[in-house]
Amino acid sequence: MRIVLQELKKILNWKIGLLLVLANAILYFLLISYHIEHFPNGRPALDSYRIGIEMVEKYGVSMSEGEKADFKETYEQRLKDADEYIQSRVDFSSVGIHSYQDFQDINYENQEQAELRNKVVFEENVDLFWELQERERLIEFQNENDIIMANEMERGSSQQVATLEEIKATGNYYIYPELVFYNYKDFIVNVAIAIIVSVVLLLSPVFIRDRSLRLVDLQYTTRVGRNIFKRKMIAGLLAMFMVITALLAIYFSIYSLNNTGMFFSSPINSFIGGFHWYDITFFQYIVLTVLAIYFLGFVFALLAMIFSNLMPNFVALVGIQIPFIIAMIGPGISYLIYQITALDLSQWLVPSGYVLIIVIGSMFMLFVWRRERTLDIVH
Amino acid sequence: MLVVNNVSKNYGDFTALKNINLEFGSGVYGLLAPNGAGKTTLIKMLVTLISPSKGEILYNGTDITSLDEEYREVLGFLPQQFGYYKHYSPKSYLMYLAALKGIEKKVAQEKITELLDKVALSDVANKKMRKFSGGMIQRVGIAQALLNDPKIVILDEPTAGLDPKERARFRQLLTELSRDRLIIISTHIVSDIESIANEMVMIKNQELLYKDSVENICNTLDGAVYETTITNDELASFRANHVLLSEKQEQSKMLVRFVHKGESKEDWTVKNPHLEDVFLYEYRDDLSLGV
Amino acid sequence: MQIVKFECKKALTSPIILFLLLLFTAYNILIVSNSSDFNKELHVANDVANSYGVEITDETLLKMEKDLQEELTHLNNITEEKAGQSFSSAGEFFSQLTYERQEKYSEDQLDSFYTIYLKEMYLDTAKHIDESYQKIDIKELGENNIQNYGLSGAASESLSKQYEKFGNRFDEMKRNMEHKRWFFAGKVYSMHSQLFKQLFLPIIFESIILIVLSTALITNYEFENKAHLVTYATKRGRRLMVDKLVASLAVSTILSVVLLAVALIVYFKVFDYTHLWHSSISSAFNWETNFPYVSWWEMSFLQYLVGAIALFYICMLLFSCSTFAIAVLLKNSYFTFFGFIAIFTILFMLQGFMPKSSNLIFVTGFNLTSLVLNPHQWFMASNGLLVFKYYEVITVLVAVVVITILFVFVMKRFNKQDIV
Repeated sequence: MRIVLQELKKILNWKIGLLLVLANAILYFLLISYHIEHFPNGRPALDSYRIGIEMVEKYGVSMSEGEKADFKETYEQRLKDADEYIQSRVDFSSVGIHSYQDFQDINYENQEQAELRNKVVFEENVDLFWELQERERLIEFQNENDIIMANEMERGSSQQVATLEEIKATGNYYIYPELVFYNYKDFIVNVAIAIIVSVVLLLSPVFIRDRSLRLVDLQYTTRVGRNIFKRKMIAGLLAMFMVITALLAIYFSIYSLNNTGMFFSSPINSFIGGFHWYDITFFQYIVLTVLAIYFLGFVFALLAMIFSNLMPNFVALVGIQIPFIIAMIGPGISYLIYQITALDLSQWLVPSGYVLIIVIGSMFMLFVWRRERTLDIVH
Repeated sequence: MLVVNNVSKNYGDFTALKNINLEFGSGVYGLLAPNGAGKTTLIKMLVTLISPSKGEILYNGTDITSLDEEYREVLGFLPQQFGYYKHYSPKSYLMYLAALKGIEKKVAQEKITELLDKVALSDVANKKMRKFSGGMIQRVGIAQALLNDPKIVILDEPTAGLDPKERARFRQLLTELSRDRLIIISTHIVSDIESIANEMVMIKNQELLYKDSVENICNTLDGAVYETTITNDELASFRANHVLLSEKQEQSKMLVRFVHKGESKEDWTVKNPHLEDVFLYEYRDDLSLGV
Repeated sequence: MQIVKFECKKALTSPIILFLLLLFTAYNILIVSNSSDFNKELHVANDVANSYGVEITDETLLKMEKDLQEELTHLNNITEEKAGQSFSSAGEFFSQLTYERQEKYSEDQLDSFYTIYLKEMYLDTAKHIDESYQKIDIKELGENNIQNYGLSGAASESLSKQYEKFGNRFDEMKRNMEHKRWFFAGKVYSMHSQLFKQLFLPIIFESIILIVLSTALITNYEFENKAHLVTYATKRGRRLMVDKLVASLAVSTILSVVLLAVALIVYFKVFDYTHLWHSSISSAFNWETNFPYVSWWEMSFLQYLVGAIALFYICMLLFSCSTFAIAVLLKNSYFTFFGFIAIFTILFMLQGFMPKSSNLIFVTGFNLTSLVLNPHQWFMASNGLLVFKYYEVITVLVAVVVITILFVFVMKRFNKQDIV
């Protein structure tokens, strides 16, 4: 344990700390800040967010037929408000718009009408019009979710259809605005990238550093001997765990600024925009992605340490990891995080993807350890 | 104590060591050979850094590889070149190695204070090693080798980087240690160990040449070491016909020391052979004999 | 010279550099072959340019229309015979074509019909060039951009001024008839972004990775192999760093040229440009999204390609130089690599941190990162915020000046530094 602590101290030194802070600052501004600072991103995203909250507060995490009717009634009510608002403004009537219906049917060739519409919607940002637009979209999805389901079932494999049947039975799908859910997905994918890069930066020096400093001769002839390899690995994994936890804590406290807690108990299938294999809540989904990030971190920690042991110099160490990181940031993360529950993919794909990379990584590590155990330390 | 049994080491086609048989009891052993003779290979095998291609190394009758940490626990090793962290102090560096050596923290702290005192580094115990001289680093290395109170101490070129005063002190330290311990010192500087080694091991062309006391080794050249004075002009032809051990300018003449087996000449004086003479004689093909 | 050769060898015999070079080359070939599904249709633009000349004139358009009429007659002869139908255009034929009807015709016939259809499309676009270009209002485009980017104050004034210049260039371009040249239909095939974005951009990234790694390797080699005491105490001494710079540039040249050359050779083997080399890059056909590509200077496709290759190469050398400076400063290739990436990304984000009312928003755009990230917009006037005629030249010059200053600084420091 003392050795592990000593090794841990060596890994978590201030130089690497500085590098991690710098890397995460850059990656934050490059990838993550957008999903925090621009949430909700303009209109009608803001309205979508507001209506979503209203729905959850009023109807809970699923909507009965009565509640759907109530939602439509609210829309009608707001429609009347809009009519009244339009009628109360002279500039509307002067261009021949007397109701919200007229307003929607605006003839864009009619310069005056088009200009007024632009002015009211984009310059004055009248909430009502944005809100109505979003409510219409939601009601449309609510009305048509059975058609979407039917289409999906027609395309699906038997397994997918079985899951879809279950979702259908709940009736709670394509109902709630998807803004918060997709914002989280975008956020977490980029957090995953930042974390993977951090883990690689953190652990790449683990073995190569002592080797290039010629400490191996001394280390391997002490009592612990070559077993120090395992201690370093444990220290590396501990460091990885600590860094990931710290980064997640930081990023999630930033995420909390998005204020999405009210959706935590909503089932992910209730959101518009896709079906999922698992009947879990948004919060459970968050937990799932966090676990997934730990697993990815574990795999990249193994890879970094493996190559740290095998590569002759830092250039080769960085070079060999580039293809892996690109492959992960590119297609890898899309499957392993973004579509982690997606019904479009075969159900076995994502879990076996994880099993595969973890098994390959561990076996590779085992191979490196076996090699190290009997390796002649010549230089 | 430590037995090297028929050990060979090959790297592909290249043979680094051939059929070495050795037996070490307690005491100081000098491992003498020019660079490239297989000295470092032997040492690295004795400390488990490389494993023999053939044969075995036994400690108290058991193979050192199967003894594993039991063997390394009683081992102290100072490599020819060893690494350290520049931003560590000798104390924290030794604490780190103490952890690797499985020494309890409290015991280690006491031991470190004692050893740093012994190698005269007490006053810089908490200074970063970044600015240490080569000699100071080497002394830290010696201290780490002794940390675990080893039964077997193996030192590869331990006096490299030490000044004469430090060397004297180092020899003294070794004599002190040598009671009931096995100390193996590899070197190519004969004077370093001549006086303190109980036995010398000499390797030549990847094979064991001698393993004997200094006296017995010297006796191999008994009556064959001469000194004489010659003129500078004669030097070239003399060099061609004899194995020269040393040349010294004396007034306008040359005092030469050389090995000759067989009939001697009148103006030659027989000298007592020194270890240095045997070394120079045996390795004459490996060394370019200069002044 | 001998020393430089030795230094180059350090990078060029490094397995990891060679491995990555191979991997990247394979990936580039994959990009090209993945996008080659329509390369059978590209001969049409070539054919048209071949038969009617690369310049579009009213006479050649008339001639083409006449020829097409003949070909249509040929089509109708066949369709009359097989299906008892006749069409006023190949387009009409295809819009009514169902799977059942398709079976009546041989593969060759359908191919030749499709060629007619494509020619009709080219002809139609060509006939409407003037009309489409009349609709373009550069000033309004500038105002839209000002609004889109939310510019105000000095920034908005500067951009308006630039768009005025662009407007002049646009008129000149029209007077020169640069847009009236045949080229691959951009809205269908997007060949310009295919080449200068989909292919050039990955190559730029790959090249940067290789260059940064090999430059760091060469520069820090002695320090990382603990040979620095020996080498910097030789006769050549610290001037060895100069050799290392030359070697880095040489290796960068080799790596980037190999990467680009292989990719371009494969690209031009797959995509036929035979009769379009001398078409104009500002061709009306080179119009992919809502605005055609318009270059600041009159350039043929070939000239543009050569210009892009030259600019690519210059940028790569500059990246090598800047890596060299960082490496001399840090003496550690691990931190050098990430230091470079950090600076590269920060330069990329720099513009975003500038106030939208200040000219800084343009000034900060004149950096190498912003330059290399938009290869399809090089030399183009239609380049969003960076509509400056000499944008490429100024950016390169700025980089040269900054890197030179950095150089003098690090070399001075290095020459006085203790090597321990």
